Amino acid sequence: MTIQMNSGKDCARAWEIMPWALQSTAPREQCEWLMHHLAQCEACSAEFAQQSRLRCALSLPTDVLVDANSGLKHLLERLDAPEPDATPVRFWSSGSRLTRALAAAVLVQAIGIGALGVRLWSDQAPRYHTLSQAALLEPAGALRVVPATGMKLADWNRLLHDLDLRVIDGPNDVGAYAVVPAGSTSSSASVLRRLRADRDIRLAEPVDNTP
Amino acid sequence: MNEATGDVDSRDRMLIQRMATGDRAALETLYRAYHGGLCRFLSRLTRRADLIDEIVNDCFWIAWRKAGSFHGDSRVSTWIMGIAYRCGLKALRQRGDEPVDDYALREGRGPSHDPDEDRELRDWLGEGLKHLSADQRIVVELVYGVGNSLEEVATIMQAPVGTVKARLFHARIKLRNVLPTLAGDPPAQQENLS
Repeated sequence: MTIQMNSGKDCARAWEIMPWALQSTAPREQCEWLMHHLAQCEACSAEFAQQSRLRCALSLPTDVLVDANSGLKHLLERLDAPEPDATPVRFWSSGSRLTRALAAAVLVQAIGIGALGVRLWSDQAPRYHTLSQAALLEPAGALRVVPATGMKLADWNRLLHDLDLRVIDGPNDVGAYAVVPAGSTSSSASVLRRLRADRDIRLAEPVDNTP
Repeated sequence: MNEATGDVDSRDRMLIQRMATGDRAALETLYRAYHGGLCRFLSRLTRRADLIDEIVNDCFWIAWRKAGSFHGDSRVSTWIMGIAYRCGLKALRQRGDEPVDDYALREGRGPSHDPDEDRELRDWLGEGLKHLSADQRIVVELVYGVGNSLEEVATIMQAPVGTVKARLFHARIKLRNVLPTLAGDPPAQQENLS
């Protein structure tokens, strides 16, 4: 943006100086130069007169009436009034509902993630067990029994009945059954001895002793 | 800063120091010294007397609380004007108001003792200021009305000096084009945009 001045650079310089000359804050030599220019330039002289009038108009008291005494009284009353309480209360009271809703959502999410983590952790138990681990399926006192291939079902049932045994697993790949005493009438040792004595039983071993 | 301005600032600094110690008499003195100037300054933002009263109240409430932290980096008047300006903008923002653009609203509100010459001058000024934005009116008020330097206006408005200079330039161009017409004279020079 440029200004077309009637007298070129001098008028532009005069334009720059005018507000500060009117304020009496421009250096003395600038003021003297301006006065000299104004005496020669009708346009700048008119502009300066208009700016002087502008300054005069702006120096008039405002026409919007505001009572100083009343204002001062209100100010002093305000100083005496108790100050509003702590910031945190104000935070929650003036904080938006959105903030509280977001905080609640984050809390719910944290609880959900925690529960999910616990569940996943518990599911991560290995689906195998090592030889050093105790057998999970067979209870204490269980026996592993391998009947002969020619043993009749009736003889097998009679033997189980006589020894008061109950099949809890099997047969496995090698034809072994896991049996446990159904009652406490006989000791494990005597049951084992009688099983081994039967000619149709090829193997009878306590599970606990199985390597 | 001339001698009179320096004296006023020295007085104001003493008042601020006393305010920092809780001296309410100092606050009252400062309030009365600045009330008229602040009201005139704020009337360039809003014509509502109740709002101006509230802004002045906010301004001095802050000045009272912050008096102890005033380090004298600027004149007291610059400091107070800056507080008032920010309070004014905040008050207008909270009410969803825009700074006034209609100086015609002032009609009939002038004091009854207003001499004819002053009334004519006010009307002339009011018509001219209608053509300026709020920021331009504030700059014109601070430079021509209050007598601030560009640097002081920049401090008050928290704007770069270059921005203030541009606002003053555009305001002067507009006023130069409209004020002579309002006074019945043809404009001496016309703005040329290139």
